[in-house]
Amino acid sequence: MLPIDAAAHSSRWRRRHPAEKALLGFGLTLCAVSLPPWPGAVLVAAATLTVLLGPAGVPGRALWRAFRIPLGFCVTGAIPLLFEVGGARGVVALAPGGPAQAGELLLRTASASLGVLLFAFTTPVSDVLPRLVRAGVPAPVVDVALVMYRIIFLLLDSLSKIRQAQAARLGHTSRAATWRSLAGLGATTFVRAFDRAQRLHSGLAGRGYDGTLRVLVPVSAVSRRFLAVSAALLAGLVALTLVLERSLP
Amino acid sequence: MHIAEGYLPPVHAAAWGVASAPFVVHGVRALTREVRSNPESTLLLGASGAFTFVLSALKLPSVTGSCSHPTGTGLGAILFRPPIMAVLGTITLLFQALLLAHGGLTTLGANAFSMAIVGPWAGYGAYRLFRRFGAPLMVAVFFGAFVADLSTYCVTSVQLALAFPDPGSGIPGALAKFGGIFAVTQIPLAVSEGLLTVLVMRLLTQSSKGELTRLGIFAGRDKTERREEAAAR
Repeated sequence: MLPIDAAAHSSRWRRRHPAEKALLGFGLTLCAVSLPPWPGAVLVAAATLTVLLGPAGVPGRALWRAFRIPLGFCVTGAIPLLFEVGGARGVVALAPGGPAQAGELLLRTASASLGVLLFAFTTPVSDVLPRLVRAGVPAPVVDVALVMYRIIFLLLDSLSKIRQAQAARLGHTSRAATWRSLAGLGATTFVRAFDRAQRLHSGLAGRGYDGTLRVLVPVSAVSRRFLAVSAALLAGLVALTLVLERSLP
Repeated sequence: MHIAEGYLPPVHAAAWGVASAPFVVHGVRALTREVRSNPESTLLLGASGAFTFVLSALKLPSVTGSCSHPTGTGLGAILFRPPIMAVLGTITLLFQALLLAHGGLTTLGANAFSMAIVGPWAGYGAYRLFRRFGAPLMVAVFFGAFVADLSTYCVTSVQLALAFPDPGSGIPGALAKFGGIFAVTQIPLAVSEGLLTVLVMRLLTQSSKGELTRLGIFAGRDKTERREEAAAR
């Protein structure tokens, strides 16, 4: 399994309704994106981290491993903001206000990423997909996504085993061998994906498959208390940002 | 490289979502029609989507000696056609955001526009163009994958330049900066992805001709393909 999904399946909030976690996680992301980065994004990031490491019980090390991926893009994407090209100061010069803009961007992106990670670390994708039909997503698209989600892990497992087998047969000792191994890996994965789909179809056809995948959705009631506390937290963050924005430099 | 969560200002994020919507809706309609006429294609499309997701997990040696991963948009568009890829690509991006923290939900529209729409359409266009002018299958596949990969990153650079214009030279200057980081450095990686796609397609034509015929790669497409099939027979 992928680390984030594995953590979501064993999360303390696993049995909570996805709508509750969506309101909190996506609400925090929206706050991070729409509020002024200073002090808004800092407050949102602090609140999200507190929820993630506190009530949601997400392990700090797993969170850092997932968080450093978007952070890498943000840092790379923020570097061009430090420079200006072809202006009055020369071909390439330090941009006035560039560090401040890059810093604000880093704050906003880091804070917004934490909001989505809060949802991802507490809600398995398998809990969300079947409920999307009720949200208006066409059933065939949800069915395709469900099949994708189930096959992805099998293919990743196959990929890792084939890679090990190739390495054991000296498949990565030279550049040419690496290319051959990679091509074999891609082609074998394709063949296995289609083979898996055909076997799945044979199995489902024997059970009266009519084109619709019916899956049991774990029953969980929406907690009004959780929704109220989440809404209060979001409203508090917005209010505090607006107040601090006027008083801080 | 996907645009990370929260990277784009809200107006830009919403605008790219609106720009992507017609293509994704068109793809959803094509997919729904396909599933209603052939119920078993749900499983095949799911397998295709999973393959696209897994393809992005392959580590690709770059010509410059570094390492990256293929976008898979060129191979996906050639195998499954761009409208279907718009849907499969968007679902893949959603999974990547939730399962790998790669990309984001507020930037889903922008990423879908570059990776699930422009990349597949540009790559498929290049592939069809080369086939129409009589190029061998593998040459067309190489340029299809190369153009799909490079156009994806060029669009990403444009999206970033529009969001963050250069203080001195505006959008053109910003495009030079972001293009220098995300598009020019991508050229060797696009060459690598083109080569890998050719190797994968060569193996597939040997081992999975049935599946490729079912996907329409070999079935009554154009004169060149028919001529190649006849020669192979």
